[in-house]
Amino acid sequence: MTYHHSMQLLLVEDELEIQRFLKQSLTDAGYEVDAAKDGRAAAQLASGKKYDVLIVDLGLPDQDGIDLILQLRQSGVSSPVLILSARRSVDDRVKGLEQGGDDYLTKPFALAELLARLRNLLRRNLAASEEASRLRVLDLELDFIRRRASRGGEVLNLSPQEFVLLEYLCRHAGRVVTRSMLLSEVWGMRIQPDTNVVDVHIYRLRGKVDIEGREPLIKTLRGIGYVLKDR
Amino acid sequence: MSSKTANPIMHSAAWRISLWATLAFAIGTLLVFAMLHRFVANDIQRRSDAWLTGEVAVLGDVAGRTPKDRLYGRVVREVAELASREVPNKLRSNGNENDSVFFLQAGDDGTPKLWVGVGDGTPHLAAIRAHKVVSDTPYDLNVTGFKHPFRVASVRMLDGSHIYLGLSERDELRVLRNLRFRFLCLWLLIVLFGFAIVFYATRRMLNYVREITEAASRIGQSDLSSRVPTNKRNDEVGHLALTLNHMLDRIESSVHQLHTITGSLAHDLRSPLTAIRGKLEIVLSGDLKVEQSEPIVSAIDELDRLTEFLNTSLDVAEAKADALRLSRTEVDLDELLRVMLDLYEPCMSEKGLRVDLRSAGPVRVLADAALLHRVIANLLDNELNHLPAACTVSIRLGASENTVSLTVEDDGPGFASEIGLQMFEQRVKGRDSKGRGLGLAFVEAVVRAHGGSVTASNPPQGGALLTINWPRAVEEMVDAPHSLTLVNR
Repeated sequence: MTYHHSMQLLLVEDELEIQRFLKQSLTDAGYEVDAAKDGRAAAQLASGKKYDVLIVDLGLPDQDGIDLILQLRQSGVSSPVLILSARRSVDDRVKGLEQGGDDYLTKPFALAELLARLRNLLRRNLAASEEASRLRVLDLELDFIRRRASRGGEVLNLSPQEFVLLEYLCRHAGRVVTRSMLLSEVWGMRIQPDTNVVDVHIYRLRGKVDIEGREPLIKTLRGIGYVLKDR
Repeated sequence: MSSKTANPIMHSAAWRISLWATLAFAIGTLLVFAMLHRFVANDIQRRSDAWLTGEVAVLGDVAGRTPKDRLYGRVVREVAELASREVPNKLRSNGNENDSVFFLQAGDDGTPKLWVGVGDGTPHLAAIRAHKVVSDTPYDLNVTGFKHPFRVASVRMLDGSHIYLGLSERDELRVLRNLRFRFLCLWLLIVLFGFAIVFYATRRMLNYVREITEAASRIGQSDLSSRVPTNKRNDEVGHLALTLNHMLDRIESSVHQLHTITGSLAHDLRSPLTAIRGKLEIVLSGDLKVEQSEPIVSAIDELDRLTEFLNTSLDVAEAKADALRLSRTEVDLDELLRVMLDLYEPCMSEKGLRVDLRSAGPVRVLADAALLHRVIANLLDNELNHLPAACTVSIRLGASENTVSLTVEDDGPGFASEIGLQMFEQRVKGRDSKGRGLGLAFVEAVVRAHGGSVTASNPPQGGALLTINWPRAVEEMVDAPHSLTLVNR
């Protein structure tokens, strides 16, 4: 998966602190990033170059982020948008954009989640990403037709829910997934429980996947999330 | 619903007002007519009495002057017949045959001397004799064999005999009956017409009031930007609408102000939080020893908790001020509970808790899905954080016609007694509670914002019991306010 090395991002964020660390971590992740601190600069940059994804903060000093997005759409920019919102409740216009294929994150967010959502948007943007019927990560194999997982040829006894969880980890193999990503993608809800509900699921899954005598695959990154090793 | 729509008109205020107004009007007109009727009847009687007394005096005079020979009978009969042709109030002439007047001369001993009229006069004489009172003024006389009474005037002759002149009240009664019949027809027409006018007018006025009510209730539930309809008229209801709209302007501006404050507060806190979190993550992703990463990890944890606290506090504050923005969609509570329990069950059994869900099948409500998710998560987090091992949490979902009830019951130590009535106030928590005391306040605020209610208690058999009642009717009100209008119209 090296397609993103030439990916061009436009980051529109007025808070310089946030802009700086986002630009750094996105560059570290291999993206080429142009940054703008207001709507006017963003429109100028977007008119001169085709970006693969736009990251737009809603609270810009000169105009509303949504208006900027709509304005860019009208002038022919069709790239997917990742909206960063400091507003607590997501208003209906953002929901409308989400249905149109764009995505949003509320501040503060985990960098891992930002990267995962970016990858999602880029994948959506790529034409016809064929759905494989099997997925292999090292000696772990997922069979989507029979909904069965096996490790080194040995079938794992997973519940349907555990299979979905493992599938999500495998699709993001080698990358960090956070608890809130798992909650929203596997269980379909954006909640922030103050209990360790997700950890127990991972703990149980690990008990079934990382069987004795084999290399542990599911790693916990404390304070960040989990990663499924792919090498 | 069915009882309300069974006969919406009969239950409307317009119907009652028109009914009472019409009743008052009908009684009033009836009284006026009764007075008129009395007056007319008296006047008619006075006229016929005047005629009777005049005629009987003339007849007495003629009878007195005419010599008592063989011609006496003929002369008096002629005069009597002539007189009867001038009967007042006579409606139609029955030719020469005149049955409305009789003339009778009777002797002192009660023998008839002379009779002019229909029949032989015997029943008349009998009736006159039966009528004990002898007076100079005319009186009513019922004669057997005649439907209508006679008005009789008498004069006493010098020879001791009496002359009686009777006038049938038939024509007079017919006039009055005619009058009553016409009045009744006219009265019915006027009353019905009056009812229709009053009903139409009040209904129009009250329809307008109802439109205002409906608009106002819609505003209460959803957005504050719409206004109640105003009309051009400068009447009381028009003033009501204007006043309501002024009030809404003020409410909208203060809610807007609240949104601005919470919005900027959220924004001003979130931006530094985002920057701090991002920087910590960058540090963490570098090569660090475990001892070095530990404080950073816990700092990130604390930041996340602070963020969640900020979010929930603002949600509770806004919900309490009725300023929470809800984007309602249809949510199946049964399905949501199953997904939630699927998520929470492993963690609960890890802690030694048992969960038991009883639900009768899909229960759809209109709710803000994201908030509802957090409500359920809060309830389950609450159980996880407060219950000791080996307890059971039973969740029951039931639905009646108008409400959906969700009860969460456990057999743990129950709610701390010092919480008492302030259970749902912000920041109230049990002494040994680990949470920040916002959980139940959030649950209550969100449920109330949706028009529901939450009750919490420690039942006598022990444990804690929390019941959420969620309105079902909201669905219809939001979905089809116009169809409701049509039903009532």
